[in-house]
Amino acid sequence: MLKVENITKYYGNFLAVDNLSFEVKPGEIFGLLGVNGAGKTTTFRMIVGLLKPTSGNITLDGHEIDYNITDQIGFLTEERSLLTKMTVKEQAIYYGTLKGMNEKEILNKLDKLLKKFKVEEYKDKKIKELSKGNQQKIQFITAIINNPKLLILDEPFSGLDPFNVELFKNEIKEMADNGSIIIFSSHRMEHVELFCKKLVVLKNGKNILSGELKEIKHKYRKKNIKIIGDIDLEKIKQIDGVVSITKNNLEYQVKIEDESIVNKVFNVVKQGKNITKFNVEEPSLNEIFIWTVGETYDE
Amino acid sequence: MTSKLKFLTKISLKRKINTKWFLIANIIFAVLIIGLLNIDTVINFFGGDFDETQIIYVKDNTNKTFDILNAQNDNYKNITNDDENAFKLEKTNQNYEEVFENKKNKEAWYLIINNDTNNYINVKLISEGYISTTSYAGLSTILNNTKTSIAMAESNIDPNELAKISSPLKIDRQILDETKKTEDENMQMIMSTVFPILILPFFALTIFLVQMVGAEINDEKTTRGMEIIISNVSPQTHLFSKVIASNLFVLFQVALLVIYAIIGFVIRNLISPATTNGFDINSFIKPLLESDFVSKFAYIIPFAIILMILTFIAYAILAGILASMTTNTEDFQQMQMPIVIISLIGYYLAMMAGLFEGSIFIKILSFIPFISAILAPSLLVLGQIGIIEVIIAIILLIITIWILLKYGMRIYKVGILNYSSKSLWKKMFKALKG
Repeated sequence: MLKVENITKYYGNFLAVDNLSFEVKPGEIFGLLGVNGAGKTTTFRMIVGLLKPTSGNITLDGHEIDYNITDQIGFLTEERSLLTKMTVKEQAIYYGTLKGMNEKEILNKLDKLLKKFKVEEYKDKKIKELSKGNQQKIQFITAIINNPKLLILDEPFSGLDPFNVELFKNEIKEMADNGSIIIFSSHRMEHVELFCKKLVVLKNGKNILSGELKEIKHKYRKKNIKIIGDIDLEKIKQIDGVVSITKNNLEYQVKIEDESIVNKVFNVVKQGKNITKFNVEEPSLNEIFIWTVGETYDE
Repeated sequence: MTSKLKFLTKISLKRKINTKWFLIANIIFAVLIIGLLNIDTVINFFGGDFDETQIIYVKDNTNKTFDILNAQNDNYKNITNDDENAFKLEKTNQNYEEVFENKKNKEAWYLIINNDTNNYINVKLISEGYISTTSYAGLSTILNNTKTSIAMAESNIDPNELAKISSPLKIDRQILDETKKTEDENMQMIMSTVFPILILPFFALTIFLVQMVGAEINDEKTTRGMEIIISNVSPQTHLFSKVIASNLFVLFQVALLVIYAIIGFVIRNLISPATTNGFDINSFIKPLLESDFVSKFAYIIPFAIILMILTFIAYAILAGILASMTTNTEDFQQMQMPIVIISLIGYYLAMMAGLFEGSIFIKILSFIPFISAILAPSLLVLGQIGIIEVIIAIILLIITIWILLKYGMRIYKVGILNYSSKSLWKKMFKALKG
C-alpha cells in the first residue's frame, strides 16, 4: 500500500504542497488532479523519491521510498522523458537496467509490449524518428517494463488518438487487476472518471476535494436535469436554485443548486408539451472539478 | 548500485564512441599524425624537396677562394650544429643562366667570387627568390671568415700560426648551480619546441572531456530523461558515471593517438630509406638522449600523469556541475566558456614558460588547479620548479576535487531537476545556499 502522510514541500519560501495525505491500496487507481501549478508534479516527484518532503512521510508497503525500492516503481512523466537519439531497444535496455532488470528479461518483455501496442516495427528505430503518439507508447512501455508495484502516470494519454487511448486504458486496468498501485493524473476528466475510484483535487498545494468518486458525486449538491420537449424556459429560469440552462440539439440541460429544486423544475416542465425525457443526473467529474476549483478561486 | 554505476558508465562511453563524429575525428587524427611523422615523404611525393641543405653553385674567378670557402663552411657547420641552415657548395664554370636553366636548380643559389684590389675579394649572390635572414647571416659569416683567411694567408703568416688562428675556440663551461648541467641547455631549447606539441593533445582532450560530460548531461536534462534516471540512481552515482566514462574515453583516445604515432613511425621506417633524405628523426632524438632527458623524464612523467588524470577528473566534475544547471544548448555553450578560457590560459602559459625565467609569478600559477597539469610539468622540465612544488600542486588539486564534490554536489542535485529560466549563475548560487 502507498501511504502519503501529511507531506509538505517548500521551495525556499514558496509552499508547493501543503499537508497532503492519502492512501492507495494494491489494485486501486487513484486520481491526483489539479490545475497547472497545483502541486501534482511536486507530489509525484516526492513519491518517486526525486524530492524529499519538507515534512511528512511517504511509504510503500511500510518502507520509506529510497533507491532500494525504486526498482518497484514505474514513472511516466508529463513531458516525454526519452533519450531521443537512442533506438527503442536501447532506450528500453537503458531504463530497464536502471530498474534492476537484466538484458534478457528486458528484451523478452519489450517484444511482448511492442506487440501489444502494435509498434513491433519500431524496435530498432531511433526515438526521434517516431511520431508523438508512438513516442508516448514507447514511454509508457519503458514505464511498465519492470511490472511496477507502484505506477505513476502523469498525463498518460497526451498525444494519443482514441484507438490508442483504449489500448492504454486496457493495459492500465489489467495492471490494476494484477495488483499494481496506480496513481494517475490527467486534465481529461472523462478519463479519470473511467478509471479512478478515489481521487484528490489539489489547488495551490492544498487538498480541496478528496475521497471515493461515487461519494464525491453523490455528495455533490449540484445536479443536472436533462429534458426533451417544449418547455417554458423563462419560467424555469425564474426558479430559485436554477444555475443555468443550455441547449444541445433537442436536449435542454438545467443545472440546479441541489436536489430540492428538482420538484420545482418538474412542476414547470409537466405543464409543457411533447415531453419525452426528464432525467436527473449526477454532475460529471469535469463539472465538479471546474465548480470546486472555481469556487475556491472565488473565496 | 555498483552495477548501475557500471552500466551508466558503459552506456555513457558507448554513446560517445559509437558516434560518427568520433570516427571522423579519429580518421583526421590518424591522417594528421601519420602524415606529420612522414611529412618529408609526403612533400617528396608531391614533387617537393625536403632536403634542407641549401646548394650554392660557386663560380670562383679568383681560382683560390673556393677551397677556403669550403673549409669555412665546414667550420660553420661544426660550430652551429645547424643542419637546417647548412650549405652545400659546388664549384661551377657555368654562368647563372645555365645553372638556373636546369629545373633541379630552381631553389639553388649562385655565388660569383672576384678578386678585389681594395677588399681582397668581392662576391655577388644570385637567387630565384627570397633568402631567409638566418641563411643570409650564416653565408655572410662564412664569407667574412673566408676573406679573413685569405687576408692572413696573403700577409705571409706562418701556416702553423694561421691554422691556430683559424681553428675555432672551444669554450670550457662551468655552471655553479650543481643541479644544472650544460647539456640541459640543449634540452631547454628542445623542450621549448617539443612541449607545446606534447601538451596540445592534453589541451584538446580537456575540451573533448568538457564537451562530453556537458553535452550528455544537457541532453539528458533537456529530453527530461533525467527525471527517470534520477528516480532510479542517485545524483552522485549519475555524476560519477559521467566522470569515470569521460576519463576512460580520454584514456582510450590517448591510446589511439599513441597507436597512430606508432603506425606513423613504422611507416616511416618502412619507406624512409628509399624516399626521404635530409630530415632525420635521429637528429631530433639524439640531443634529447644526450641531455639527461631520459633520466629526468623518468620521474617527470609519473608526476605529469598524476596531475593530468586529477585535472581531467576535476574538469569532468566541474563540467558536470555547470551542465546540471543548463536547460538549453545556449546555456550549455555559455557554461563551457569559462572552462575553455581557463584551459587556454594554462596552455599559453605553458608554451611561454621559458620566457618567465623562473619568476615567482609563474611559479605561483603552476600551483593553481586546472592549469597546474600543463604548467607544473613544463616548469619542472625547464628546471624552474622542483618536485616539492609539483607535489604541492597535486595536493591542491586533490583539495579542489574534494571541494567540488562537497559543494558542487549540492548544485548538481538541485540543478539536474531544475528547469527554471532564471540566470544560470543565480540558480547556481541559490542551490549552493540550499
